[in-house]
Amino acid sequence: MGIISVENTDRLYWLGRYSERVYTTIRLFSDSFDEMIDSYFDSYELFCKRLDIPNIYTSSEDFIARYCFDPKDPNSIYSNLTRAYDNCITLREEIGSECVSYIQLAMYDMNRAGVSEAPLIELQKVVDNILAFWGMVDDSIDSENVRNIIKVGKRVERLDLYGRLRLDAEKMEREVDRLAGRIPRTCLKYRKEALPRLKELVESSEIDYYGIVKEVESILEE
Amino acid sequence: MKELRFEYSMKLEFETPVEKHRFTLKCVPRSDKRQKILDLNIDVYPKEFLSTDEDSFGNQCIYGYSEGSHDHFSVLLTGRAVCGLSSSEEDAKEARTGLFRYQSEYTKPGPEITAFTDSIRITDDMTDLDRAILYMKALHNRFCYVPGVTTIDTTAEEAFAGGRGVCQDYAHILLSMCRMKKIPCRYVVGMLMGEGLSHAWVEICQDGVWIPLDPTNNLIVDDQHIKISSGRDYKDCIINQGIFVGRTVQRQTIHVLVSELNGRL
Amino acid sequence: MKNMDLCRHTDTVNELLARYGVKFGIYKNNEFREQLFPFDAVPRVIGKEEFAYLEKGLKQRVMALNCFIRDIYGEKQIVRDHVVPEEFIFASSGYLAQCEGVLPPKGIYAHIAGIDLVQGKNDEWYILEDNLRVPSGASYPMIARDLCRRSSPSTFKEYHIEDNRNYAQLLRNTMDYVNTGGHTVILTPGRYNAAYFEHSYLAEKTGAHLVTGNQLIVEKDHLYFIDYSGKKEKVGAVYRRISDEYLDPMNFNEESLIGIPHIYDIFRKGNVALLNAPGNGVADDKGIYYFVPKMIRYYLDEEPILQNAPTYLPFYEQDMEYVLEHFDDLVLKDVAEAGGYGVVFGNKMTKEQKENFIELLKSEPRRFIAQEVIDFKDIDILDNGEWVPRKADLRAFVLMGEEPVVWKSGLTRFSRNPDSFIVNSSQGGGFKDTWVLSR
Repeated sequence: MGIISVENTDRLYWLGRYSERVYTTIRLFSDSFDEMIDSYFDSYELFCKRLDIPNIYTSSEDFIARYCFDPKDPNSIYSNLTRAYDNCITLREEIGSECVSYIQLAMYDMNRAGVSEAPLIELQKVVDNILAFWGMVDDSIDSENVRNIIKVGKRVERLDLYGRLRLDAEKMEREVDRLAGRIPRTCLKYRKEALPRLKELVESSEIDYYGIVKEVESILEE
Repeated sequence: MKELRFEYSMKLEFETPVEKHRFTLKCVPRSDKRQKILDLNIDVYPKEFLSTDEDSFGNQCIYGYSEGSHDHFSVLLTGRAVCGLSSSEEDAKEARTGLFRYQSEYTKPGPEITAFTDSIRITDDMTDLDRAILYMKALHNRFCYVPGVTTIDTTAEEAFAGGRGVCQDYAHILLSMCRMKKIPCRYVVGMLMGEGLSHAWVEICQDGVWIPLDPTNNLIVDDQHIKISSGRDYKDCIINQGIFVGRTVQRQTIHVLVSELNGRL
Repeated sequence: MKNMDLCRHTDTVNELLARYGVKFGIYKNNEFREQLFPFDAVPRVIGKEEFAYLEKGLKQRVMALNCFIRDIYGEKQIVRDHVVPEEFIFASSGYLAQCEGVLPPKGIYAHIAGIDLVQGKNDEWYILEDNLRVPSGASYPMIARDLCRRSSPSTFKEYHIEDNRNYAQLLRNTMDYVNTGGHTVILTPGRYNAAYFEHSYLAEKTGAHLVTGNQLIVEKDHLYFIDYSGKKEKVGAVYRRISDEYLDPMNFNEESLIGIPHIYDIFRKGNVALLNAPGNGVADDKGIYYFVPKMIRYYLDEEPILQNAPTYLPFYEQDMEYVLEHFDDLVLKDVAEAGGYGVVFGNKMTKEQKENFIELLKSEPRRFIAQEVIDFKDIDILDNGEWVPRKADLRAFVLMGEEPVVWKSGLTRFSRNPDSFIVNSSQGGGFKDTWVLSR
């Protein structure tokens, strides 16, 4: 492993988490958006509840505008992408300009989506760029450690989101296995006992979703 | 000529412990033409990482780092000094003398010092030393020694305008006046015979030698002063400079004791 | 030139520059913003022979400047011999007394010099300014070249152009040459610095670690990088992109939070290389500029190859007289200012401004220099599909290792405002690539 600072380790991890958060929440939002067009105008209430974010929105229009694009709403997709960008921009020498460029492009597309009449089309480009970013991470980063820290961030975030959304056991199990395979291949300091505990949680007949979220949120040592 | 015994102790107490403490100490006197330092002993606490160096002004520095938590920082310095071996110190780095002709951060004169300096009549036949002594006398008559009115951040002009101050202020004002006339001069920190705090005075360069003047006491330094360091002004001679991590209240106590060793010489 | 394929790709290249985050940060109304650096695809082209001449002159100048800094912090023979008055040293804000008697590794002070030149209408090149502290800008033509080659490969097949993407290697060579043993790092003030893109890009391309002050630590007599595991890795060279006063709170500005305490103490001991060395400001202020041709004669015993813009020092009585007589033909510069600030044109002042200025000049003659206004050779840029002439300068980069090397390119900055002579990026200028022909 090449030398890497605590700060950059931390940033790589959070870059993984925020890029995943943006990716998954855009996809979830797209489903809700479709419903809000002509059937369930207030489906955003359920959306907020499931993601455990405060419902501060006054209408479906307000929800679309603010949840997606408001830089002042800390839970907005925009804010999460900004966090990914902020981490990314300080990692150029670790991950390379090519990787950085895809998050930069996602940011531009996000800005365009904010002023578009059909935001879903532009948001798709954000998703495309995040996918390209992950592809680039795999393809161009030589350091296994650096690559894996980003992926651990991504896995932790996904498990966290899936837990909140109460997805079925099969999906949860798969994510736990992927995380368990990845995290020992990094320099991250994590609680060793968390992995068997997560496995146990997703395999039990009655899944304790709250327990999974709690466990995965605290997997890294402070 | 006198043989003096000196003891310098400084203690910094922190109400709540601090960590990651970095410090530079310029408290070590060294031998030169005027003084000879013997039996020097230095004790620093804490001393996880200590190193020594000489700064650009030739001052001895002890610098260090203490990573762990500690509730006080202390220095104890003891030794003997034979003082007054010569009335002046030779200029070892002649090329640098010029830099002491220019005002520095603390000495920049304002209207008050300018007017005062201009009011003192100097003539062409006077040497730089004659002029400096004349300025010292005038300053001594004009300025009052009153502790507590000025701080370590007070500039020469501020102190002079207030009319009162301590040795640091006397030295800065005299430097300011001399530099207005392009007389090379530097700030000196040291210890004075007796008991109390550290002392500050001035050195004037003439014909390649540095001659010490003590404006606080209105005298030409003889054998009762032990020099520690010198520089452009107070800032180059800070005895203890430090930064640390921790929100705390700190209390500093300094104690200097210089006494004559009788019957030895 | 104007018809080349590359011109059609101006927008494409600018889009690519945006994609790669080629930006600089500015503070406006206390808010940090990132701004793109507008690129004009038509390059400045310098012929092979012409560049060879510039190269010779630039090497000569940077060699002399290095000799000067070494002399100033050492024996000061140039002062003793009355070539440079001591006022211009000791009263200069760039002179740091802390650097007295300190000899950097391999004796090099200015490792990376950014020398600003302009070309007059008579085709003559003039030196405008020497930048020996933390000159920035090399990354822009470097990445722009890469993107231009992608956009218009045919152009680069047709012309024979020196590849400028070797800048990273040149920089690496310089860093390695002075390294005292250990890792090489680039020290940045952080993400909100105007030139952060450049810091991170140069780190990527040279393979150096990009660090902030809190990741480095001095223990006893060496500098260390702290690894994620708490392990300390020795550092032997720091290409620092923070200014002298913030470098070390124990030796310079004590309020600096971005510096590394005691780094200067171990530098003094020769245990780490700092690029560029602290204290270089004594050689690149506008007052000392006047003396550079004299330095070349003094230290190298050679005639200067590249000329200064005709400059007057009101400090000398004779020059003061000239300045007052020809006030309207001159540009006056405050020696303490940089970045295009503190520059005034005699003929653009009102009567009252002029009177006030002359009074100030008389009371503080050392503070200003006066220069003849050079009749710049304008450079064409594409502005909304139209060709328009604009003022431009050239920042050439000279890297000092065992021998000085001039980078076969440079940053050409232009003013977008037709009436302005000021080309600084912080004042809204744009940039061009600089081609040096290889045949």
